[in-house]
Amino acid sequence: MNPYRSAVARFAANRFALAAALVVAALALAALGAPILAPADPIAQPDPVGLQNQPPSADYPLGTDRFSRDVLSRLLYGARVSLGIGAAAALLAVTIGAGVGLAAGLASPVVDQVLMRGVDVALALPRVFLILLVLALWENAPAGAVIVLIAATGWFQTSRVIRALVLRLRETEFVQAARALGAGRRELVLRHVLPHIAPAVVVSATIDVGNIILLESGLSYLGLGVKPPSPSWGNMIMEGKDQLLTAPWVAAAPGIALLVTVLACNLAGDGLQDAFDPKGAR
Amino acid sequence: MLTYVARRLALALTTTAAVVTITFALVRAAPGEPLLAGADERFVPPETTARLRERFGLDRPVAVQFVRYVANLAHGDLGESFARHRPVAAVLRDALPNTLLLGLVALLVSFALGLGIGVVQAVRAGTWTDAALGGAALAFYSVPAFWLGLMLLLVFGEWLHWLPATGMIDPTVHGSLSAAGRALDVARHMILPALTLALVNGAAVARFHRAAMIEALGADFVRAARARGLGEGRVVLRHALRSALAPAITLAGLSVPALLTGSVLVESVFGWPGMGRVAYEAIFSRDYNVIAAVAVVSGVLVALGNLAADIGVAAADPRVRRR
Amino acid sequence: MIVTSSDADVLFPPAGSTSAAADVAGLVFSRLAELDFQANTVGDSGFRPAVARSWERADSTTIVFRIDPRARWHDGAPVRAADVAFSFDVYCDSLVNSRFRPNLAAIDSVSVRDSLTAVYHFARWYPEQLYDATYHTKVLPRHLLDSIPRSRLASSGFARAPVGSGPFRFVRWDANASIEVAADTAHFLGRPRLDRVVWRVVPDPAAAVAALLAGEGDVTPVVPQAELRARVRASPDLRLVPYASNGVAYIAFNLRGRGGRGTHPLFGDRDVRRALAMAVDRATVVRSLFGADGEVPAGATARAQWIWSHSIRQVPFDSAAARRLLESRGWRDSDGDGVRERNGVPLRFELLLPTTSRARNDAAVIVQAQLRSAGVDMRLVPLEYALFDRRSLRKDFDAAFMARTLDASPASIVQLFGSEGVRQSNLGSYESAAFDSLARRAIDSPTRAAALPLWHEALGTLNEDAPAVFVFSPPFFAAVQRRLEGVRIRPDEWLATVSEWHVPPDARLPRDR
Repeated sequence: MNPYRSAVARFAANRFALAAALVVAALALAALGAPILAPADPIAQPDPVGLQNQPPSADYPLGTDRFSRDVLSRLLYGARVSLGIGAAAALLAVTIGAGVGLAAGLASPVVDQVLMRGVDVALALPRVFLILLVLALWENAPAGAVIVLIAATGWFQTSRVIRALVLRLRETEFVQAARALGAGRRELVLRHVLPHIAPAVVVSATIDVGNIILLESGLSYLGLGVKPPSPSWGNMIMEGKDQLLTAPWVAAAPGIALLVTVLACNLAGDGLQDAFDPKGAR
Repeated sequence: MLTYVARRLALALTTTAAVVTITFALVRAAPGEPLLAGADERFVPPETTARLRERFGLDRPVAVQFVRYVANLAHGDLGESFARHRPVAAVLRDALPNTLLLGLVALLVSFALGLGIGVVQAVRAGTWTDAALGGAALAFYSVPAFWLGLMLLLVFGEWLHWLPATGMIDPTVHGSLSAAGRALDVARHMILPALTLALVNGAAVARFHRAAMIEALGADFVRAARARGLGEGRVVLRHALRSALAPAITLAGLSVPALLTGSVLVESVFGWPGMGRVAYEAIFSRDYNVIAAVAVVSGVLVALGNLAADIGVAAADPRVRRR
Repeated sequence: MIVTSSDADVLFPPAGSTSAAADVAGLVFSRLAELDFQANTVGDSGFRPAVARSWERADSTTIVFRIDPRARWHDGAPVRAADVAFSFDVYCDSLVNSRFRPNLAAIDSVSVRDSLTAVYHFARWYPEQLYDATYHTKVLPRHLLDSIPRSRLASSGFARAPVGSGPFRFVRWDANASIEVAADTAHFLGRPRLDRVVWRVVPDPAAAVAALLAGEGDVTPVVPQAELRARVRASPDLRLVPYASNGVAYIAFNLRGRGGRGTHPLFGDRDVRRALAMAVDRATVVRSLFGADGEVPAGATARAQWIWSHSIRQVPFDSAAARRLLESRGWRDSDGDGVRERNGVPLRFELLLPTTSRARNDAAVIVQAQLRSAGVDMRLVPLEYALFDRRSLRKDFDAAFMARTLDASPASIVQLFGSEGVRQSNLGSYESAAFDSLARRAIDSPTRAAALPLWHEALGTLNEDAPAVFVFSPPFFAAVQRRLEGVRIRPDEWLATVSEWHVPPDARLPRDR
């Protein structure tokens, strides 16, 4: 029985999760299409005297900031950063995690123990402070560095989950049977193990994406990560926090965007988790 | 029990060692001369640079530097803060208690909130109440903490003028207040930042606890208790809650990293003079010793938090010890 | 209670560089003589007695000061001429490396004739001798500082708990939070009318104004943003006190290489500098930041200085001319990325900024966009103040956004842009014999009328060479609680009249006790 088909059906039946997934898709499309959708250049300052801090209007649907830059355009371009880094880092993280988990699950008990003890230790590391340290030391870190740092410090939970899954799968009838029939290691992994851990990897990724987006926005808010004038949702909030009274839309818009995005990711992630494992405690 | 504790202690020590090593490696591996860049010299001719390298021990082999670093740490010498002209240990000694205070209060409030909501949700599972509370929890779980802090500051600090805007105390009057007055002053300033942290963390607790409570409520011994005719209230409180307590304690220990992370952002928003704000300021002053020290200290705190949680769980649930 | 934007770095007067440090030093320490409110630095008449009860000229290069025998340090010891000589020595000591040292260059030595008489010897006559002798140095206690090695003075315990002879004595300093001083009731010139002065550090200007509105502060010396000023004006409890600005913020180009050696690949070229200056629309920056209140500086001067005038020659804003000039120097955008290159090197540089100055950060973003449209890529590097200061002094920058509070006398401009200042405050290492000689002649002119055209010519020369772009002169407004009376603000030292400030008894709040 194809586990996927029933999972998709269950997911589709969950209205909230479906709506959330559609929202995520819409956001991703908006981010990709920013150059076409954005009404203005996100870093252009048409009139820093006359057009600064304008409230939302027909010309500027989300208003302007204190340099007369269009908030909507900056929001769309900022989405590319926040969503892009979020997606890339999440993908990288679960890939590493799955790889390590797979290796631990299939390898000898010694290797397994070593790897898992390492993961235990790594889980206790203060992730944000280490990232802060690296970014503070590294003056002009490229955007890729942020992705790698976030991914490198965030794969541990995934590896645990995958390892547990792999260990269970080793004992199932399919695998025993295949082994008895003389299937090679490679074939075992590709045909019997991977398809069954794929759902867990996907769920892991969707659950991580939300946290990663929040982490990246926090780093941008602190002035690390993407540097102004290039917009990211985090640094837009940083720039807008001084104008909370006079121009609240500048900080409110990216904050709400973050909330909606992460909420949708988390809902979709929950929905996926339910879809693949309905007997879970929900 | 003792072997269990010993094993968890070993784990805590290993994590601490790992944090120290990684921090040391990162600072030494950085390009340029990060330690010299912060030294308080106005014009740096080459002879002075050489003297500085000698003073900071940068001309020795890496292994020697590492040993020295660890030895200093063991003595509580965390190096010197270039920006503040004081030993880092002194800076952290002033700042860490403030973070711990805020963190502890936030932890307690978040657990009160989270456990309460989780219990209500579990008891009313499947109803509108459950859905509404679950939605709220999910929303607070998904919001960026620093933005939530800014919004709360806007509403309560500015529009309603109920609560003070920033800082931990009101410096004009604090010195002349009684002990109770001083405590109240700090408490007033602590409400908003603690609330911010508590809402975000509480949402995570609520989500987790709902699941744990539902599982506990469905367990055999609970059904048996119900069958024996015990009232629903007693069933919930005494039996289900107790078995859901163990995972809750673990979660408390695991919340320490989240609270420390949150502290960096929330403390900067509210001007709370804690370790997080010190770290934030150290970024812009390239005060690497401070950031490294904060990383080490928070690593130790996280390890301690996990250790405490492990021990607490083992004390509450005997089954764990035999693993 | 004063709300200030950054903490004092150190309370040792020769070394402090933040405004809070200067504030505290002004209250805890005193000078030989103080400037009158008119701040006339030329000649001998515009001064009041302080530590020195009287002074007279022995000849054109010697001034004799008689110390007031009633003057006391806050620990009770009497102030002596030896303290005056010691203070001068400390300020001039290269190990202390005070930023006031260049201002004292014209003073040869200070000798002690007897315990209450100190004598200043000058190298030559010039009109501002009395100003130089009294304004730049505070009198320091020899008996407390003598034993400390000079290089350690700034980090000593004294620097964290100073003892002076001023109208207020130091009480406490909570790092990064507050500083408190209390009135010296036995002060020899009469006690100040206030009992205590507390500085509270609130880095964010909006939060500072909010603190004042909430009654948690009494005065803040700068209200940089227009919307904040509007809030102050609208409040019945506060009033906005404008005073002539003596501040000028400028983007200084490093004409030498990083570290002060060699020639900068971009800024060694005068035409490139002029082109950049022409590409910046300073009027827009000023209006965007300050509304109608701000001013475009006429050069290296500010309204509070008597030489201020818009008739000084300036580089005009002309973006078309800027582009032509860059093209003519070989900078063309060959790959269409919006940034000009020459021989494969892009026209790109880094601008250092302190995180503490909202105005400079905002101005930099606007200037960045303006330069971008001319094909220049300016990267912004915000740094914490102390680090910004260190790197600037080490000349470890391409361009740095400096802000200076100018002295009452324009003579200090030679430290900023004269050849003699290259080792100290002339951070861009600009050297021009023409500027030097014009400035020198202006300084030596016996009257203001004779000096004025020379100053204008000197500043005009400076502008044409464009070693810096003088972006804005911030409008100075203090926000003051109405109940605080007697507040008169002297532009060069806003707390100069603090001894007269007071709160009438019926307007006192509980926290005034």
